[in-house]
Amino acid sequence: MVRQDERPIARFALSLPAGAIYFGLFLLPLAVLFIESLRPFEPGFVGGRPDAGFTLENYVGLLSGSFSAALGTTLRIGLLASLASVILALPLAHVCARSSSARLTALLIGLFVLLMFLGVLVRAYALQLTLGAVGPMRPVLLSLGIAPTSRAYIEFVVGAGLLHYILPMSVLTLIGPLRSIHPNLHESAQSLGASAWMAHATITLPLCAPGILTAFLFSFTFSLSAFVIPMILGSGRVNFVSSLVYTRFSEIANYPSGAAISIGLLVLALAIVALLSALARRWTSLRLHV
Amino acid sequence: MSKRLQDTAWRALVLLAMGLSLVFLVAPLAVTALLSFDSRTFLGPLPPPSLSFQWYERFFSDPVLLQGLKTSLLLAALVTTVATAAGVAISIVLTSFRFRGRELILSFLLSPLVVPPVVIGFGLLLYLSSIGAVDGFVRLLCGHLILAIPYVVRASVTSLAAVNPIYADAAMSLGASERAAFWTVTLPLARSGIAAGAIFSFAVSMDDVAVSMFLTDSRTYTLPVALVSAMRANFDLTIAAATVVFMAIVAVLMLVIDRTTGITNAFRSTHQR
Repeated sequence: MVRQDERPIARFALSLPAGAIYFGLFLLPLAVLFIESLRPFEPGFVGGRPDAGFTLENYVGLLSGSFSAALGTTLRIGLLASLASVILALPLAHVCARSSSARLTALLIGLFVLLMFLGVLVRAYALQLTLGAVGPMRPVLLSLGIAPTSRAYIEFVVGAGLLHYILPMSVLTLIGPLRSIHPNLHESAQSLGASAWMAHATITLPLCAPGILTAFLFSFTFSLSAFVIPMILGSGRVNFVSSLVYTRFSEIANYPSGAAISIGLLVLALAIVALLSALARRWTSLRLHV
Repeated sequence: MSKRLQDTAWRALVLLAMGLSLVFLVAPLAVTALLSFDSRTFLGPLPPPSLSFQWYERFFSDPVLLQGLKTSLLLAALVTTVATAAGVAISIVLTSFRFRGRELILSFLLSPLVVPPVVIGFGLLLYLSSIGAVDGFVRLLCGHLILAIPYVVRASVTSLAAVNPIYADAAMSLGASERAAFWTVTLPLARSGIAAGAIFSFAVSMDDVAVSMFLTDSRTYTLPVALVSAMRANFDLTIAAATVVFMAIVAVLMLVIDRTTGITNAFRSTHQR
């Protein structure tokens, strides 16, 4: 942008406000959270006692009961929803990337962007209204022999809630990678005798593998930290890890345990991001070497 | 199975999947819109026997929801202003100089996007209580700022970096000072990306529940927090009316963006987490 600068120091001062925000509202709170997670919990005190020394008991507590159950639920439903989202997003993104009708493309992209702007709460509520146990789907479910209050159905509804959020996000993520694949490649494969779906399976999919991985990464990290969707759609019976943090805070006021759960969730989220982005990078560099 | 038959079968399957996905995405919103005009006072099967505006009347006369809406709008406006100013300022530094660790700093600035919101909310609650900041509005402002600023940084770094330095050089060779070249050439060229970041920070602030739930007090609460407690209390179609009002606001907002910057451009630079 600008090469020679008379007063570079003055220009660097522009980073101070954002630096202060990140330091005061991001780094310090995470540090306080970490310290809190090492405090012993004493019933009757709001938060751990600052003079009581440090302990690992809150982390030991993670191994038992509610945390591992919530973690299992989160990973299971999150994984299924993310896989479904990537699989269902591929054909939709392909239409957006390759359709000859500009109007159709604009309409679809407009719909997905509108959905993203609607946010989480509105859509979770709409799904609760539509699919919930007392909603208009009730007679349909009962005639199919599905109990609308069974745990399996509630888990399905929570998964549907996640999917409703991550499907448009995945489509919009995949359009770019699909557009960058030269259409000639697909045609050559077909002219060499591959069927259309065979050409997709052997040409299109491998070429946009990093894009698919990115879409999966967005979907899975969103599902992992989801809070509103299981709260609205889970009817208090399907709890994610985030719900557990909130319960520790609002209902039993065990701050040290809530802090330990938060740190556990944070480490898990960062580990998954690091793992999947390393994988995506490797994939991209492999492709460049071929 | 012949190749052609295989292709036809796959095509049918894919078309079916696409149709079902679109129905799945749109139908719940349509059902909500329909039920918000329901004249019944309970939740019954579709379609409603007759239509009325009773839920809209209730929404616009509900003091709790209106108070939440007022707080939300004020908060979102303030958050957008501060986050955009601070975010654009640091993005100018990141795009003006090449220095070691630049990529690392950018990743750090974007990292709140991958930290689960409840972790940010709970951490902020503990920290702000420890320094004695107990005012609800101040705490919400702090929480929403750190949620919103990464979106601004991502959008403005992308758009500032995309401006070809040739234009600023041309302005300077014609006699503009460096500062004048930045304000009159570079910044206007990057404005649609910066606007997209600002709009996103507004939307993030209006939508947040996870962080706000930790930071509200009994007098200061946002519209989403008020809606969540209403949803928990009883099943009331006032929320459906609120949802439709919200959808209308978003649709108008999108039309405005589309007219000013182009929706796909606005989105391209900001949607990725």
